[in-house]
Amino acid sequence: MRVYVCVKHVPDTAANIKVVGGSGFDESVKFIVNPYDEYAIGEASQLVKKEGGEVVIVTLGKASAMTTVRAALAIGGDRGILIKTDKQFVESDETALILKKAIEDDGGADMIFAGKQAADSEGMQTCYRLAANLGMPVATEVVGFSYAGGKVVVEREIGGGEREVIEMTAPCVVGATKGLNEVRYPKLPDIMKAKKKPVNEIDAGSLKVDAAGLVELVALEQVPERSNAKMLEGSVTEAVDTLVKLLRDEAKVLE
Amino acid sequence: MADQKDSKNDFQHYFGKEHDLVRKSVRELVQKEILPNIDEWEEKATFPKKLYKMAGELGLLGVGYPEELGGTPGDIFLKIVVGEELMRSTSGGLVAGLGSIDIAIPPIIRKGTEEQKERFVRPVIAGDRIAALGITEPGGGSDVANLKTTAVKKGDHYLVNGSKTFITSGVRADQITCAVRTGSENAHGISLLVIESGTPGYSTSPPMKKTGWWASDTAELYFDNLKVPVSNLIGEENQGFYYIMENFQSERLQLCIMANMTARIALEQAMKYATEREAFGKPLSGFQVTRHKLAEMATQVEVSQEFTYRVAAKMNAGINQIKEISMAKNFACQVSDRVTFDAVQIFGGAGYVRESVVERLYRDNRILSIGGGTTEIMKEIISKLM
Repeated sequence: MRVYVCVKHVPDTAANIKVVGGSGFDESVKFIVNPYDEYAIGEASQLVKKEGGEVVIVTLGKASAMTTVRAALAIGGDRGILIKTDKQFVESDETALILKKAIEDDGGADMIFAGKQAADSEGMQTCYRLAANLGMPVATEVVGFSYAGGKVVVEREIGGGEREVIEMTAPCVVGATKGLNEVRYPKLPDIMKAKKKPVNEIDAGSLKVDAAGLVELVALEQVPERSNAKMLEGSVTEAVDTLVKLLRDEAKVLE
Repeated sequence: MADQKDSKNDFQHYFGKEHDLVRKSVRELVQKEILPNIDEWEEKATFPKKLYKMAGELGLLGVGYPEELGGTPGDIFLKIVVGEELMRSTSGGLVAGLGSIDIAIPPIIRKGTEEQKERFVRPVIAGDRIAALGITEPGGGSDVANLKTTAVKKGDHYLVNGSKTFITSGVRADQITCAVRTGSENAHGISLLVIESGTPGYSTSPPMKKTGWWASDTAELYFDNLKVPVSNLIGEENQGFYYIMENFQSERLQLCIMANMTARIALEQAMKYATEREAFGKPLSGFQVTRHKLAEMATQVEVSQEFTYRVAAKMNAGINQIKEISMAKNFACQVSDRVTFDAVQIFGGAGYVRESVVERLYRDNRILSIGGGTTEIMKEIISKLM
C-alpha cells in the first residue's frame, strides 16, 4: 500500500521567535519535524512494515524545509515530496488543497497520516480539510491505531481520561497525537541513509491550486511578558480577603 | 563535511543536519538510559553490559567504520558528535569503556583479513563482543618499543607470555588487540595479535581502583603460555609498532573531545551554581571575582574546542596533523585541568563531595593528560616536528 505522511517544517518548540515585519518571524532559528508528525511517521512505518508498500513524506514549505524532509526520512519513510512555496504562512485551506493535488498527482493514497496539529500555527484544520477535499473519513487526536483488510480502527482521546473507538474505511486520514506510539529516535545508519533517499521537489505554483483565501495572517505579536506573581500570606480567610480586595481594587474585575 | 549548509550559518560548516540528528539520537540515549543511573554505576564501578548492545543497535559503536561490517561511515565530525554527546553522561569512565572499541578495532579494519574482520570487528560493532587494546605493561607505558610480552611462533600458533596493565575494558573484554614481541628488541620486533579472553592461560586482575573513570573496568591482564593461532596475527609480523602509531591520531582526537567536554560541562555546572548559591547576601555571580573567573574559563573552553575542530577538519581532509593533534591534546588537557579545578573552587565544599558533578569531572580529568600519550610524549612529538 502507498501511505502518505504529511509533515510540517516548524520552528523548534524551544526556539526564541522574533517577530519581523509585523506578520513574519526571523527564520534563522532551528527548524524541526513537527513533533506530532513524528508519531504519524512512526505509525505509517509500522503499517507498511506489516502490510508492505511504501511510506511517502509530503511537506509543503520553503526550500529550506528539505532538512525536515530528510529528518522525517531518517525516522521512517521511503521517499519524499517537497512542495516548495515562498510563503511563510500558508493557510490550512490552501495547504489542504495543495497536499490533495500533490498526493493525487503522485498516484493517490491508500492511507494518510499527519500530526493532529502543527506546533507553530496550531490551526488543527489541515487533517479535516484534506480528508474533506479527498472525500475520506477522518479522525484526529488518535492514540491507538489498527488496520486489517481495509478497515481502520482508531482510539481517540475525548477528554476526562475517556477514549472513543472509531471504525473507518481505508483510505482515510489519521491525525496522530502523543501516545500513539513511542517515538524512537532514528538509528545512526538510518540518518545517514536518509540523505540518499529520493525526494521529488515540486513548485507549489505548478499544482495550480485555486484557494479561496479564507484566512489572512494580519499580525504576529510577541506574547507579553508575564507580570510578577503575588504570594498571598496569612490564614485562608485572610488570603481570600486580600484576593477579593486585589481583584476589586487593582485588577478591577469585581464590582 | 555537512552536505546541507544553512546559508546563514555558512561559517560554521563543521556540523550539518545529519550531525544534528545524530546528536539528538545519542542525547536521547544518554538522557533516557544513562543519566538516571550514572551515579549508581559510578559508585558500583561498572555499567551494565547491555549498554554495549543498546549502543550497537543504535549504530553508535560503528560510526566511522565500513558499512559492510555493520558500521556507519561518516566524516570525522560524526564521530565527534557521538563523543561529545556521550560525555554528557558526565562519566568519562563510561565513555572510555564504551569507547575501547575505537582503539581496539581500527588496526584490524586497516590490516586484518576478511575472516578476522568477520570474527573480531562485526560482533564488536554490533555490541555483542567487547574489544580492548593491550599495549602498556607493568614495566613501561610510553616506551612502547621496549615492551616485554613475548610471542614465540610454534607451528600454527604463537606461545604468548607476559602481562599488560591499565587496560580499559580489561575485565570484561572478549578480545584484546595486543602488542607482543615477535622479533628484535626494538620497534621493529613488535606484532599485533588478537587474543581472546577464553584462551587457556589468560586471566585478569579484579577491576583496578582508580582516582577517576570509576565506571570503566580497568584491569591487568596475565598471559601464561597462551596458544594464540597464527591466524590471529594482524597484518604483517614485526610491523605492529607502526600499526599502533597509526592509531594514535584518532585516539588523541577523542581525548581532546573528552577534555573539551569535561571542561565545558564543568563550566556549565559552575555557571549554574554561581547564580543559585548565595554568599554575603547575593549570588556568587554577583561578585566580580566569580564573573571574571567564569569569563576566563569560558574563553579557555571556547578556544580549545575551536582549535580541536580545526585540527579535526584538517584530519578529515587527509592532511597530516600529528604535530597539531598533539598540541590540541596538550592544550585541551591544560584547559580542562584549569577549568575543573576552578569549577570545584566555585562550588567550594559542595564541589568536594560526591553529590556534585564537578567532583567527578575533576577526578576523571586527571587521566586525560596521561592516557593516549602523556603530555611529555606529546611535547617530544611536537618538538621533533617543529
